[in-house]
Amino acid sequence: MPFVKRNPGAAAADKKPDSLASHFTDLGSPDEEGRWRAARALGGKVEAVSALAGALARERVPRVREAIMTALMRVGDDASILTLLPYLCSQDAGERGAAIEALQALPEAIAPFLPKLFADSDSDVRILATELARNLPAEEATRVLCALIQNEQHANVCAAAIEVLAEVGTDDAVPALQACAERFAGTAFVPFAVSITIARISKTES
Amino acid sequence: MADSESPPGAVHVTQDDVRRLCEFIYRRTGMSFNDNKRYYIDRRLSERMAATGAGSFRSYFATLRSDANHEIEHLVNAFTVNETYFYREDHQLRCMTSDLLGRIVQGKKREDPIRIWSIPCSTGEEPYSIAMWLMENWPEVDSHNIEIVGSDIDTRALNLAGAGIYGSRALMRLPRDVIDRYFARIEADQVQIDAGLRDSVQFTRANLIDASDMARYRGFDIVFCRNVLIYFDDASRRIAAENLYDCLRPGGYICLGHSETMSRISPLFGVCRFADAIVYQKPEAGHVG
Repeated sequence: MPFVKRNPGAAAADKKPDSLASHFTDLGSPDEEGRWRAARALGGKVEAVSALAGALARERVPRVREAIMTALMRVGDDASILTLLPYLCSQDAGERGAAIEALQALPEAIAPFLPKLFADSDSDVRILATELARNLPAEEATRVLCALIQNEQHANVCAAAIEVLAEVGTDDAVPALQACAERFAGTAFVPFAVSITIARISKTES
Repeated sequence: MADSESPPGAVHVTQDDVRRLCEFIYRRTGMSFNDNKRYYIDRRLSERMAATGAGSFRSYFATLRSDANHEIEHLVNAFTVNETYFYREDHQLRCMTSDLLGRIVQGKKREDPIRIWSIPCSTGEEPYSIAMWLMENWPEVDSHNIEIVGSDIDTRALNLAGAGIYGSRALMRLPRDVIDRYFARIEADQVQIDAGLRDSVQFTRANLIDASDMARYRGFDIVFCRNVLIYFDDASRRIAAENLYDCLRPGGYICLGHSETMSRISPLFGVCRFADAIVYQKPEAGHVG
C-alpha cells in the first residue's frame, strides 16, 4: 500500500518550549508569523494582558489581531475585557466583529460592563452590546435588556434588543416590550418585532 | 398534554416555541428547520424534553441554553444522523481526489509525503474511508507517499479504531466489491478491516482545544474535522480554529461537516467552492491575512 506511518508528534515532542520573555519580545517582531505564535503562546496568561493590549493597538494583520483577541479572551479578566471593549467602536468592521466574538465568549465576565455599554453615545456600540447579552442566563439577560429598552431612543437599538429577547427573554419582559411598542408605535417594525417576541416568550409554560 | 399543533403523544409545544428552538439551532449549528418539518422537530423535541425531565418548553429551553449536562450535544445528535459509517459525506472524499490532491501535489516534490488528518476520528471509519477512497479513486495513489493520521480525545474509541472491527451497518454506504476487497467477516454481524489498511493509519490521541497537545501536529495538507465544532461553545470554537490553522501547511485544506461553516467560526480561512464540496483553505505563505 502507498501509505506511510510515522508518529506525528515525534519531532515536536523534542522541542523545548520558548520562555515567556521571548514571547513578549516576539509580540513586537517584524515577522507576522512570530507575532502570531507569541500571541497564541500568551493566551490565558494574566501577566501578558498589558503586553497583549499594546500589541493589539499596533497590530494591523487581521489574523494576528484575531489571535491577540483570542489570547485576551482566554484570560477573561476585567483588564482583558477593558482592553477589548474600545474595539467595539472601531471603524474597521473586521475589528469590531472580532472584538464582539471574543467578548461574547465571556458572558459572565462581560455582564458588569453592559450598563456602561448600553449608555454609550454611539448607537452602533449599543446595538453590538445587545448581542453580548445573548449568552447571559435568561433572567439576567431579560433584566438588562428591559432596562435598555425602557429608555432607549433609537429604534434600531430597541429592535436589536427585542431580537435577543425573542430568544433569551422570559415573560418578565412583556411589560417593557409593550411599553417599547407603544413608544415606537409610528415605527412599524418595532411593534411587529414586539408582537412576535411576546408570542414566543409568554406562552411557554404548560 | 398534546395540543392541536403537536403530534399525538407529544408534550405541549406551540408554534412559537418551535420557531424559538429552530432559531437557536440555526444560530448555533447552521442547520435550518422550519414549519414544514414540524412533525420531525416535535418528535425530537419531545424525546429530549422527556429525557431531561422538562415539564415545559420553557424549562427545557433554559436547560438547553445553559448547556446543562451537555444538552446542546444531545439535541444536535437528535437532529442529525450521528451514526458514523464508512464513506459518510462522500462528496468531500470525491472533492479530495478530484480537486484538492491535484493542487496539493503541484506544490510538492515527489518524495514529500501527502499528509491527511482525521480529527476527531472516533472509531476509525473516517480515516479508513480516506485510505480506501484513495486506493479506489485516485490513479496517482501509488506515485506518492501518503500519511493518514486519525486522532481523537477518546482513547477507548482509538483502541477500537486500531482493532478495525465493525458491524454490518457501518458498511451500508460501501459498494459490494469494496467490502470484498478490504474487509474479512469474523462473525455473523462483524467484519474486520484489512490488516494492510490497519497498518496504514496512525492513530493518536489529541484534544482539539489544547494548544500544547495540538502543537505536536503540523504540516498537514488536508484536515477532516467534521461534526465536532458545532458542539463547542464560542470560546472553544475560536481556540480550535486557531489550533487547526497551525496544524495545516500554508495552502492546506480543511473539510468540515455539512452543517458547519468556518466563516461563522473564524475568518482565518478562505472559502473554496469546488464542484463536490465547499472546503476551507489556509492562505498560502505570503498572503496577508
